[in-house]
Amino acid sequence: MAEFKFSLSAKPILGGVDLRIGDNQIKERNDLAIVSVATPLGGENALAQSLQDSWNLPLPTPTVASQNSDTFAIRTAPDQLFLVFPHSQPDAEPVVAHRLSGTGYTSDQTDVWVVLDIRGPDTIAALERICPLDAAHMPTNGSARSIMEHMGTLILRLEERRFWLFSGSSSAASFLHAVETSFRNVAEA
Amino acid sequence: MIIDHPLLGPRDAAEFVVKGDASLIDRPDGMTATPQELHDYAYLRDNPAGEHRELWYHEQGDRSWLVVTRNTLTHAVTQVELARDVARSRGRSR
Amino acid sequence: MTQSHRIDGGQIDRAQTLKFQWNEKWLSGHPGDTLASALLANGVKLVGRSFKYHRPRGIFSAGSEEPNALVQLRKGAAQEPNTRATTIELFDRLYATSQNHRGSLEWDLMAANDLLTPFLSSGFYYKTFMWPKAFWEKLYEPAIRASAGLGRLSGNPDPDHYDHGFLHCDLLVIGGGPTGLAAALAAGRAGARVILADEDFRFGGRLNCETYEVSGQSGSGWAQAAVTELATLDNVRLMARCTVYGAFDHGVYGALERKTDHRATSGGKPRQILWRIYTKRTLLAAGAIERSIAFGNNDRPGIMLAGAVRTYINRFGVAPGREIAVFTNNADGLRTAADLRAKGIEVTEVDARKGDMIVDTKGRKGVHSAILSNGRTLPVDCIAVSGGWSPTVALTCHHRGRPQWRDAIAGFVPDGELPPGMSVAGAANGTMTLAACLADGHTKGTEIAADLGATGAAGDAATAIDEEFEITPFWHVSQSRARAWVDLQNDVTTKDVRQSHQEGFRSVEHLKRYTTLGMATDQGKTANVLGLAIMAETAGKTIAETGTTIFRPPYTPISIGALAGRARGKDFRPYRLTPSHKWAEENGADFVETGMWLRAQWFKQPGEKGWRDSVDREAMAVRKSVGICDVTTLGKIDIQGRDAAEFLNRVYANPFLKLSVGKVRYGLMLREDGVAYDDGTTARLSENHFVMTTTTANAVTVFRNMEFARQCLWPDLDVHLISTTDGWAQFAVAGPNSRPLLQKIVDDLNLSNDSFPFMACTECTVFDGTPARLFRISFSGELAYEIAVPARFGDSVMRGLMAAGEEFSVAPYGTEALGVLRIEKGHAAGNELNGQTTAQNLGLGGMVSKKKDAIGSKLSERTEMNREDNLRLVGFRPKERSVLLTAGAHFLRPGDPEDLAHDQGWMTSVAYSPELGHSVGLGYLKRGNERMGETVRAYSPVRNQDIMVEVCSPHHIDPDGERQRG
Repeated sequence: MAEFKFSLSAKPILGGVDLRIGDNQIKERNDLAIVSVATPLGGENALAQSLQDSWNLPLPTPTVASQNSDTFAIRTAPDQLFLVFPHSQPDAEPVVAHRLSGTGYTSDQTDVWVVLDIRGPDTIAALERICPLDAAHMPTNGSARSIMEHMGTLILRLEERRFWLFSGSSSAASFLHAVETSFRNVAEA
Repeated sequence: MIIDHPLLGPRDAAEFVVKGDASLIDRPDGMTATPQELHDYAYLRDNPAGEHRELWYHEQGDRSWLVVTRNTLTHAVTQVELARDVARSRGRSR
Repeated sequence: MTQSHRIDGGQIDRAQTLKFQWNEKWLSGHPGDTLASALLANGVKLVGRSFKYHRPRGIFSAGSEEPNALVQLRKGAAQEPNTRATTIELFDRLYATSQNHRGSLEWDLMAANDLLTPFLSSGFYYKTFMWPKAFWEKLYEPAIRASAGLGRLSGNPDPDHYDHGFLHCDLLVIGGGPTGLAAALAAGRAGARVILADEDFRFGGRLNCETYEVSGQSGSGWAQAAVTELATLDNVRLMARCTVYGAFDHGVYGALERKTDHRATSGGKPRQILWRIYTKRTLLAAGAIERSIAFGNNDRPGIMLAGAVRTYINRFGVAPGREIAVFTNNADGLRTAADLRAKGIEVTEVDARKGDMIVDTKGRKGVHSAILSNGRTLPVDCIAVSGGWSPTVALTCHHRGRPQWRDAIAGFVPDGELPPGMSVAGAANGTMTLAACLADGHTKGTEIAADLGATGAAGDAATAIDEEFEITPFWHVSQSRARAWVDLQNDVTTKDVRQSHQEGFRSVEHLKRYTTLGMATDQGKTANVLGLAIMAETAGKTIAETGTTIFRPPYTPISIGALAGRARGKDFRPYRLTPSHKWAEENGADFVETGMWLRAQWFKQPGEKGWRDSVDREAMAVRKSVGICDVTTLGKIDIQGRDAAEFLNRVYANPFLKLSVGKVRYGLMLREDGVAYDDGTTARLSENHFVMTTTTANAVTVFRNMEFARQCLWPDLDVHLISTTDGWAQFAVAGPNSRPLLQKIVDDLNLSNDSFPFMACTECTVFDGTPARLFRISFSGELAYEIAVPARFGDSVMRGLMAAGEEFSVAPYGTEALGVLRIEKGHAAGNELNGQTTAQNLGLGGMVSKKKDAIGSKLSERTEMNREDNLRLVGFRPKERSVLLTAGAHFLRPGDPEDLAHDQGWMTSVAYSPELGHSVGLGYLKRGNERMGETVRAYSPVRNQDIMVEVCSPHHIDPDGERQRG
């Protein structure tokens, strides 16, 4: 029985796609872990303290993520946030759970989402074609969940012309198509 | 149509799913309610021409259930509350 | 190729010449021309045939209100019917043809309709095509369709593509004429975020068409300077070629931007963008539209609106005629005469205010003379008509606002009940002179910007001298004996309006529907007020009492392609792929859409002739050895919290409080009315942590309903939900060899029946360290497991499972075999959970706990839902074993008539069972549980089947469940 050997390989949902359209870039981020943290009823303060102690992160507001270096805490529901940080192994949830030591309910969301890192001069114009939100006026680290081309999306503004777009991993191909089409429709190339 | 989410600000109704009359919050306790009360809860809704309190779910958003006060004649939305707060204010708890 | 009617001046680029084809003939124009101005420049007067009578018609206006000059633009697949020549921007090698004629435009065979006028009056269809009934489809409708309908579609897929988009602003200014420009300048300078949209390709509105001065320069020059300034402001977005077509709730406006319509090709970019504009405030500065006067034969080519004549001479440098009569009831009309004289064109003024009138005209394919009321015949090749200007109030009425009649301008103005956030300025608001419009725009732009918190200086208002404005209402020439046209697009005459009234159509809405006045592409922009006035006169009422019809979006026509946007073909909606999709593609899978998911139906092997061969083989592999099915599509919900168990106990009808850690339980969900709506399994991973599966179809609904219960019903339970459907690749491994197969890949986990029994679950690692979850659950009735791994490993795990199963001849199986297996085993699925069925119907009545108040449980106890003679889910097999059963067949007792009163139930699911060698079915039968072994009739008139079937247990295979527990 011990004879059988097969080594598994992890596969990025879009194969690590990296597109250039004009001076813009659409890149799949497959180096990020996403762990949801739900606030136990009545445990807001304990969770806030825990985030502060373990990650030096304040609680995110409903519309602006908090950031410490390359770790983000993004509000996704009144009693839920996502911790997003670079991490390649499939053990992000136990890692986070350990550091929270019971102050939040954790669920691994890394594989639930595809993350597209979009940037370039036409980013705002491209978002105007799919995003009902006022992306141009989001603050830095502004975050929101919305719908783009029928797909649920979490949008995070990193820079003036750089965003992360999170959407369901099962429809990642359709989502990439929607984002890519938006850039192609506006970019001079 | 725009719903002014109490936490997130104005959002397009396309992000929401509507359920209907906010009276659905007032679910009777099945162990003590009369069959008539259970029946009325499950089947009877008001359908006013004018101000109406409705449940909307921010499905493509923060997953909040909201109570939206909307005039069915003018579509004017005059109040938007978190349904959880409304439920608590009506005495719901566990 | 000479532009015989081109004159000096205008905002066209004479340095460049554009060639274009009209009805296959090459003509020329210049950048800045519309197709209409270029046709007029080339002396083309006759451009189309009317809708009903096929009367020769020419260009009537110079804007989107055009009722006559509808043409087919481009050719081949890109051909677009019913485009208005007056809004088509000329481009090189433009190709256009006239429409709605049989034979040539000049000799239209359908013109005979014009001679049938006495029979084709209003209500003609309703009166004529009444009987015999059978004639409608076979004769009348095809004949009507052939003779009407204006342009033709190419019948080919649209080669262009379209996009949608979303814009946000503080202030949307609709209309880029003097009012809109003044408002945008004021608000933009103040710092407000402004969008200025105009349907034209050149901002300026009437300023481009008139000879007025603004702030000491030409009106058009001032407009261009304003545009130049606005373009320097980062907070202002200028949108030319953009029609705001609808005012929707809460400051949302719809707009259509034509991106490439003015080019020969779209260059791979979307041709048009349908925008949704979110605004805080809106200023409607849409101007006004001129209207006609009804007189005999007032529809001939060469008869056009007086303002349009000014547009052609001043903006386009085109003389619509050389001998022109101006027929007006107002001072503005006389400006046309003055402007024409300034260009050296001969003009005769016919001023209705002085009692002068045109009674009739002559000239079949182009007017050549006008008959005046004093009996004189005037040689003319163009008649400029002005019956006054109607404020463009359409968007003010999209929330059912009704405009009010204002005598001073003889027009309808917005009445104050505007869409929330909207203001109206300039001519759209009844402010009919230039200086007043500039001031109005400036003031309102300044005020709105200040309201919105903009603090910058609005700057100085532009100045102009107010022109004379005077109108004496005059609608139609009663002396005219010939037909006098009210609505050119729909061929409605003054007589039709009167007749409609006489026949009892007293409401304006009835007038519209009976005569078609105000319908079709122009929506009566030049005709409605005239029609209302004549109706009011006939009824002896005022126009104010008569009112208008309701204005609805869109303001101008929108192509279906633009409404569809990207949602065409494969892009109609997103699709979802399972982690093993690529592997399945490589291994002969045939896919089926289930919701948005693409799932493998079966995996075709060499030599298999039809799908049944594949499905039978796959099902048998599961029964005899082992099969693998990707079940990732099942909804997965992660449930955590101190009250998670209590919560589950309230959303499932059966008990969940005492489920042990490391165990899975089947759960049944009811709607609040007691009807079953979903089922699945829930595993308890730890004290406060559960993982629920739902059906693929109901994943979203179940999540939504549980959020409702959590937030609205029991807001103080500590329970939290998050979907993990996409996060875990999940595979069913089913069949007697599933245990030895999985034992090869799990790390340090004993899968023996004692240590990992039926309905056990655990978190574990597989393939040497990869995290996984393992559930011992069975949908097939065999010894079976479901294994879940992070989705990134899904493809690899599928390959690993296949490699591990090679020694067992493992077979992947698709949704069809899955269906066969569950029907053989008697498990309910979507066909059985049809929104009408109760737990009792499903044979699960005993599961519903009476000791607790779960959603739907109390109402499910109602007497009617628990009658002994209700439908029960049972199995069926054909008496004649070779016959294949039919889903949807209804059950009858042998000998009973085939009617509803004798209906005994219906077959919900059928499959061919390769294990049993015959067809098996599930279905609902009255008192079915008491009727084992009975023979009933399965009757399906729609499938033409009438057979006898035997009632049996729904568990066609292994009724005692020994296999799955073994």
